[in-house]
Amino acid sequence: MTARKELAERIEGRLAGRSGRSLWRSLDELAREPAVLEMLRAEFPGLPDLAEARVGRRRLLELMGASFALAGLTGCGPGEAAGEAADQAIPYVTTPPGLVPGVARHVATAISRGGYADGVLVVQQMGRPVQLEGNPDHPASLGALDPIIQAGILDLYDPDRSRSVLKAGRAASTNGMLKALVDRLPALAANGGGGLRLLTGTVTSPTLARQVAALKRRFPAMQWHRWEADGRDTLRAGSVLAFGRPVDTLLHLDRAKTILAIESDFLDGAPGHLRYARDFARRRRAAGEGRPEEMSRLYAIESSPTLAGARADHRFAVRPNEIEAAVRALAAELGAGPAEWRRNAPGWLAAVARDLSASRSTALVHAGPAQPPAVHALVHAINDALGAPGQTVTYIEPVEADPVDHGDSLKGLVADMAAGRVDTLLTLGANPVFTAPADLDFAGALAKVPLSVHLGTAPDETAMLCTWHVPEAHELERWGDLRAFDGTVTIQQPQTRPLWGGWSPQELLAVLDGETRPDGHAIVRATWMERFQGKGDADGMWTDALRLGIVPDSAAAPLSVSLLPGLADRLPPPPASIPASTGGGTLTALFRPDPWLRDGRYANLGWLQELPRPFTTLTWDNALLIAPATAERLGLKNEDVVELRSAAGTLRAPVWRLAGHAPDCVTLPFGFGRRVVGRVGRDVGFDAFPLRRLDQLWQLPGVELRKTGETHRLAATQHHQMIDSPDAVRHATLDAFRRDPGFARSEEPEHSLYPPYEYPRNAWGMAISLDACIGCNACTAACQGENNIAVVGKEEVLRNRQMHWIRIDTWYEGEAAAPEQTLFQPMTCMHCENAPCEVVCPVAATMHDADGLNVMVYNRCVGTRFCSNNCPYKVRRFNYFNYAADDNRLPMSWNPDVSVRARGVMEKCTYCVQRIRNARIAADRENRPIRDGEVKTACQQACPAEAIVFGDLNDPDSAVSRRKASPLDYGVLTDLNTRPRTTYQARLRNPNPELGEA
Amino acid sequence: MPGVFGPTANILTKLVLYTLLAGLITLAGGAWFFPNTSYATRVGIAQPQPVPFSHEHHVGGLGLDCRYCHTSVEVSATAGLPPTHTCMTCHSQIWTNAELLAPVRQSLATGTPIRWNRVNALPDYVFFNHGIHVAKGVACTTCHGPVDGMPLTWKGASLRMSWCLDCHRDPAPNLRPKEAVFDMDWKPTAATPSGEQLMARYHIHPETLSDCSVCHR
Repeated sequence: MTARKELAERIEGRLAGRSGRSLWRSLDELAREPAVLEMLRAEFPGLPDLAEARVGRRRLLELMGASFALAGLTGCGPGEAAGEAADQAIPYVTTPPGLVPGVARHVATAISRGGYADGVLVVQQMGRPVQLEGNPDHPASLGALDPIIQAGILDLYDPDRSRSVLKAGRAASTNGMLKALVDRLPALAANGGGGLRLLTGTVTSPTLARQVAALKRRFPAMQWHRWEADGRDTLRAGSVLAFGRPVDTLLHLDRAKTILAIESDFLDGAPGHLRYARDFARRRRAAGEGRPEEMSRLYAIESSPTLAGARADHRFAVRPNEIEAAVRALAAELGAGPAEWRRNAPGWLAAVARDLSASRSTALVHAGPAQPPAVHALVHAINDALGAPGQTVTYIEPVEADPVDHGDSLKGLVADMAAGRVDTLLTLGANPVFTAPADLDFAGALAKVPLSVHLGTAPDETAMLCTWHVPEAHELERWGDLRAFDGTVTIQQPQTRPLWGGWSPQELLAVLDGETRPDGHAIVRATWMERFQGKGDADGMWTDALRLGIVPDSAAAPLSVSLLPGLADRLPPPPASIPASTGGGTLTALFRPDPWLRDGRYANLGWLQELPRPFTTLTWDNALLIAPATAERLGLKNEDVVELRSAAGTLRAPVWRLAGHAPDCVTLPFGFGRRVVGRVGRDVGFDAFPLRRLDQLWQLPGVELRKTGETHRLAATQHHQMIDSPDAVRHATLDAFRRDPGFARSEEPEHSLYPPYEYPRNAWGMAISLDACIGCNACTAACQGENNIAVVGKEEVLRNRQMHWIRIDTWYEGEAAAPEQTLFQPMTCMHCENAPCEVVCPVAATMHDADGLNVMVYNRCVGTRFCSNNCPYKVRRFNYFNYAADDNRLPMSWNPDVSVRARGVMEKCTYCVQRIRNARIAADRENRPIRDGEVKTACQQACPAEAIVFGDLNDPDSAVSRRKASPLDYGVLTDLNTRPRTTYQARLRNPNPELGEA
Repeated sequence: MPGVFGPTANILTKLVLYTLLAGLITLAGGAWFFPNTSYATRVGIAQPQPVPFSHEHHVGGLGLDCRYCHTSVEVSATAGLPPTHTCMTCHSQIWTNAELLAPVRQSLATGTPIRWNRVNALPDYVFFNHGIHVAKGVACTTCHGPVDGMPLTWKGASLRMSWCLDCHRDPAPNLRPKEAVFDMDWKPTAATPSGEQLMARYHIHPETLSDCSVCHR
């Protein structure tokens, strides 16, 4: 009786927790929409709707009879029929040196993102790349990887990649292409390369730079143009304004106590963002680890939400043109600008300025690429005034080879093409027909070029309009070199022979230089032999560089630059202050890259298409993002299709209301709406590029917005798999934590009718620090790759059937217009000690094992889905269809260590049991215990912020045991007596007392 | 009016009923025993091969060590099949013109692998590891049978799950000192440690060996 009363009280307490300052996951949940409450209650919402195709009793019996008969038949016959390919064993003729069949090899190389290197270790099984892991020795990775680089393995095996040379879009011979190029050479030599142009994205490759320099000696009039739609022109221009020369800025977040992020991408897009995330998270975790004085404070000013904004202690959502005014005012407050800039400064600014000023050289200000050059110049001035250079920021020579303004560069090229001054255009790896600003009309100008050659990994928009398209070898298939954000060089080595042939950019350039049979290896090696010459054993240095994945000591040296005087006079005039709200439909459009597809180059990768975007949780679509208040003013709901009109053109886009978005502006993510693309990326999303103008690359004022009355369904996952717990995420301010260190703990009963389990060897457990998590989704992507998780497509996502084993729940607190807090919670199987799923499985397909794992036995599973229904964390995924078999990826791209699940089978996080087993075998072979840190789950390995720790709970000194000993440690839904093995460490905030709790 | 049932009706009915019963028992028995027959398990049935390689000759006769060809058995999940190159270490010197070895020479000359017919195959959802079994004192012959007596190789055991589990639940009878794992003719002597002693020496924990996750991932 008392127990029942206790339970009733507890439930009431939980319900009561919902009122007042509560957490919410979406605007609909905040508004308590009935549909959302239904999603909260049901494990399989929408299932009754699917019963439209009703199956009667008779039909059911027929089907059951037939399937039993068929199931019986499969049991007959000998175990293996001889002679079939699958039943043959095919050894090597000569085993490659060092290769042991069945033992994975890790080979270092790098993959580029926006031209900059991310160091990877390629996991190879019998000479075949199966997975990418971060290279711990690489400064931009430190062992972590973002979703885009992880998807590189899918890119390698993409069956829609280019397989042959195309002439005007039709298959043609390589020799024909070579002849066309070589035939042009005498004419080019005669006029000094007058009509010869090269177009690339951002290039950091020393070899490419060396080759271009050589070509320029041969063809002095040749020009090299650059265009990166998602580029960093504004940062370059800002440093020219401030210092009179381009420099790259490196951030040292490990030394930063007070940080101001101005729509900054330091956590999600900037070169080096994985490194920055790690440094940032280490200082954020410090308070929970007993060093509260080290905890940093982050301010964010932004219009369109960024991950840095979500992690900020104070986030100010302001209209785009108010940002520059605020930065000017801040500069003035800190003595880096004239006092009149202080006029109209927002109220919070003085407090931020005082805090930055108090931190002096441990303060840091950073702005993202969407901010105008003036803001970047001001940021340099502010950092200078704070004494940050040499402390929290260092300047280096630009990593980009021969840095130019991409906008000007492209504009010059298009003007020359349109004027007929270009007769040979080589486009290496860029897709300007799709990504160039619409006002340039690149496609129209391209038609006037007599010989245009495009090198790309897939036939894209540009390939179709060029005279020749040449298949490009994937970065895992060719030799090359790249530099990371800090200048460190990686020599890229091929991991496999090109699957479908293909050229490297270096090889194609060599053809222009007169080589008929270029050899990528020799070209790259020549660069480095030249550089290693005279420094000792050049061959040894080459081998070392390949083995390590970096050229040692190749990072750029810090540069000493000084601010040019008179910055205030050199700045372009500030933008006119805008009227707060015009009341009409005139808005400012902000162009931002989609977090995963970037400029559209990754559009054919299913992992990225289906990976929920941070904040919106959208998959398979982009949407016009708008502040809830602005949407309400305009009468817009989610999924309404609107038409945007401006002088630049019109486009139609579905609407998504986003909490924390600045008012009176909309964000248009570009990268979607590719027209010439493989099977996965076709007809996905809308293309925002047609509104983008060269002089207004990042924001376009004066856009008219009109409702069309149509709707477009968007596959957002925010209401999928919602757990019913008001305190799933726990948080407090640093001060509150000091007063009550155990605020997150909850005392829960530990009763069970079942005898307790014993764990004689290991007891695996996981700890996830919400203090560290930045919501980047790297864990979800890593899990998908490691565990062969299927991509299901938009229709199935709409039915709540995405398969990700680990999801990031996003929680907000506060007002919809300006949430005070955005909290991310990676949610995956908790491996409960009293697992509710285990007791309801009628066929014992989900079991407790001797290490405490809650294992799934796929072969036993008959698909009752009782387990999923009984799981309060909603982390189980059911294969409604044979998703894996329907996937068009190449069979060899699956991870051979993990079963590929069939239809009708439940699946979920296994704590990467395959990695545990391999470690166990390795340890048992040597008769020793498994060392702490020897087993790393895929999510843990990919996490740049070290939020996830995994290990043995039987060992009190293991990293996970130490993490769990933190006073911040708590379990989710422990009042259900599930006793989860995955626990969380609560988030701490470090607000400025001057600005109040907010 | 004649009776509906004639004088033979009783006996016919009984006959039908008994036949049905006998049929059911036969079926059930068949379903039980069939998977264990060597027809279904292929145990003891020699597989034809492109080159009639004889373990009897190479192992039993010449005394080659298992690891001469199956090089990765101690370190990897797979024991490894010898590359053509391994065959040719000897056969470039002896039996250089033998008709039987033509496919081997052909393979080396053209760089095309020899396609052997699999003798021991496990389903894709079973993740077996040779290395750990060898390290814990499970001998080759324990699972693969008397390989040194096989002119053409056949399966030594059913490799059915129940067969695996018999040993995973009670490994003691199948263990021998690690040094004798590759010994074809090993016999325990009075000095041989008992299975229980070996389990202690090799840290074998049968209580964790029958977890599903040991073999299925």
